[in-house]
Amino acid sequence: MISSNPSDALVTFERVSFTHFDRTVPALENVDLTIRRGSFTLLVGPSGSGKSTLCMLLNGIIPHLLGGELSGKVVVDGNNVAETEVKDLARSVGLLFQDPEWMFATLQVEDEVAFGPENLRTPPEEIARRVEVALDYVGMTSLRKNLVWALSGGQVQKLGLAAVLAMQPPLIVLDEPTANLDPATTHAVHELILRLRSEGKTILLVTKDLDEFMAEADDLILLAEGRVVAQGSPRQVIEQHGLEMLDLGVWLPEPTEIGLRLAKAGKLLSQSVPLTVAEAAQAFEHFLFVSGSGNAKKAVTGEVLVKATDVEFGYSHRVKALRGGSFEIRQGEIAAIVGQNGAGKSTLSKLLVGLLKPSGGELILFGKPAKKWKVQALANEVALVFQNPEHQFLCDSVAEELAYSLLAQGVDDPDEVKRRVDDMLARLDISDSAASHPFALSAGAKRRLGVATMLVGGRARLLIVDEPTYGQDRHLTERLMALINNLRHEGITVLMITHDMRLVDAHVERAIVMADGEKIFDGAPGELFQSPEIVEKASLRTTSLRRLVDAMRGHGLTIPDGLNTVDAFIEAMA
Amino acid sequence: MSEQTLAYIDNNSIIHRADALSKLFWVLVVVIATFQFRGSISRGLMLAALLFLAIVVARIPLRAIWKVSPLIFGVALLLGVFHYVVTKGITPLFSIGSFVVMKEPLENGAAFFFRLAIMVMASFMLIWTTDIRELMVGLVRLGMPYRFAFVIFMALRFLPVIQQEVDAVQSAHAIRGQAAKSQISHRFHLWQRYLFTVIVNGLRKAENTAVAIESRGFGAYPDRTYVKDFRWTFSGITLVVVFLLFGVGLILLERFRFI
Repeated sequence: MISSNPSDALVTFERVSFTHFDRTVPALENVDLTIRRGSFTLLVGPSGSGKSTLCMLLNGIIPHLLGGELSGKVVVDGNNVAETEVKDLARSVGLLFQDPEWMFATLQVEDEVAFGPENLRTPPEEIARRVEVALDYVGMTSLRKNLVWALSGGQVQKLGLAAVLAMQPPLIVLDEPTANLDPATTHAVHELILRLRSEGKTILLVTKDLDEFMAEADDLILLAEGRVVAQGSPRQVIEQHGLEMLDLGVWLPEPTEIGLRLAKAGKLLSQSVPLTVAEAAQAFEHFLFVSGSGNAKKAVTGEVLVKATDVEFGYSHRVKALRGGSFEIRQGEIAAIVGQNGAGKSTLSKLLVGLLKPSGGELILFGKPAKKWKVQALANEVALVFQNPEHQFLCDSVAEELAYSLLAQGVDDPDEVKRRVDDMLARLDISDSAASHPFALSAGAKRRLGVATMLVGGRARLLIVDEPTYGQDRHLTERLMALINNLRHEGITVLMITHDMRLVDAHVERAIVMADGEKIFDGAPGELFQSPEIVEKASLRTTSLRRLVDAMRGHGLTIPDGLNTVDAFIEAMA
Repeated sequence: MSEQTLAYIDNNSIIHRADALSKLFWVLVVVIATFQFRGSISRGLMLAALLFLAIVVARIPLRAIWKVSPLIFGVALLLGVFHYVVTKGITPLFSIGSFVVMKEPLENGAAFFFRLAIMVMASFMLIWTTDIRELMVGLVRLGMPYRFAFVIFMALRFLPVIQQEVDAVQSAHAIRGQAAKSQISHRFHLWQRYLFTVIVNGLRKAENTAVAIESRGFGAYPDRTYVKDFRWTFSGITLVVVFLLFGVGLILLERFRFI
């Protein structure tokens, strides 16, 4: 429970509203909340609910550096944020950003950790001691002389955390620290956060990966449209507002989602909704399971679009990003490439669109060797949606952006262009934004426009989407996946590059697993998640739904195979 | 990860180990000497010395030099050609068919080519071999306020960021295909868009970094402490002295008409 004792409070918000510069709708509205010293608080909410704004208010970035209209009072560690400069608040708040590379100011790992304490005029001997302690804490002592931009995604996050710890702030704020990481590295960072929590640090964590924290957190704050919808212990909030959270588009762990839906249908016998896999396994043990339809995965026998035989690629003579991958991709498939950060997934996608050429082996794209394709010509056959869709935008309005793609594919009849642009805008539900600048769209709409620009021409046969769920809440992801599934029914082959195991299990028929530049598995996700050695080698993790099924089987229950989604699981419950 | 060519290349050569301030002074010595040279032989020898230092002593990969060669030699060549065209010629040297090559424009064009190529090459050597943090600390120790020194530091820190951005936008645009064959206005529009995206994303990253650095206490006090303080090195001072002697030697040889 959130304490009402003010002396215990490290952070208090009193009727806080904030409207960003050049916006009319407030990002935060009448927010009241308290964060106790030594507590672990989770902050959740759909995309655009004001989570990052709230984090940036804590260390004064808002309103001092990113302007806007602030009313109400935010007090952090005894400082009124509106009256205290960012540099002074740095003593009280350590903020770890979603992409900590932004905050790196030096070249070497150990210099990076020292940077903050140096700014605060900490004596050099004390800084040296703190650097030792912080690097040891995150397990990076052996990398202290490494260059910061040669680190892997997980190491970057750990270094960011070490840099924050070295400043010894009373409050640590973590804004989606694992959004870019592979599942196993995410787990490692989560363990570090839990260790900090067990040592009594005050932590505010924004994340969509709630699985490992629901049972550990003291408080959970639910934000929606800039307002605090609920605050309290995770159990309390889930029980009172769980269904509302699902409606808002918040990602909840699968066992909790199943519990909520059963409770709504009056089928949950236990008193409380399960928060963990262990609780769920116990709560659902009175159910009998029948073989559900699941998402039956069928073998695809369409035309071979891509045939790779021992394909190799190296960015330099020393480092091979790809070391002999062989596979085929057929018309009509929906597949995912998964694996740890730096396993060669992005390299493979660049080879498939012709941006890179293989340095060894044979790669046949649409019946012709990859080396003979020009990128522009290949663009008619294969489309790649980048993780950052802004990189792909060329025009001043959404409609022009789509028209450009049509022109690039030789459609130049103005009536035909207009008809197809209007049709695509309507399909994507962005007709209202036809005249808007692509950069001004919301994150979800940018993603959908990215897909649309690649497909409006209607000639691409293979669509590659890099991290389709990155930065998207549940509703936005569902819309994007609905779009992708529709395209698939129109005969387009879809290949996703992703760290999202839930997405892989629910939507994909085939998972190609990469590790250290090699393909180590190629088959159905169900088979993959039953191969612990491959899951471990590729730094993956099974979904909490799969772990729930395993735990229930461990209790002696008979659970059919193929329960890969919450719907399939509930359907199978007799 | 693609290869970084606008950033520190981790090699631990004797040049890498030389202190940052000496290397900064070395760049100044090279540039000042180059502007004092009167003939292309001296300038050519200086450029050759820089390439020798980069490839043999500092062990900079040829790939890195090749990748930035349009910046080092391409732009210099354009400048050289421009000056060849605008310089009035008096003395004919030789002719290719009806095209007569004049001495004055050729000399002037070569002078501008070498000057720019040497300046850019020396700057790249500094970027490739120097920990920019050490350069910042050195400048502070010379009396520069640390926030000013940091401006230089951040400018260098952003070169690789911009390079990544350019690479990403270039790739993304390539796979959009081409909407028109080669209308000049269309190509101009594409370039405009290309620059716009790079600048918008570059500025956004710069703003994010500025915000993040300030939230780590940067600028909290008029001064700050340093765990690793600046120290002059023997190899650094030797580098400056050797190039000073080399430059002065070439100037003297020119003045006494040996070259």
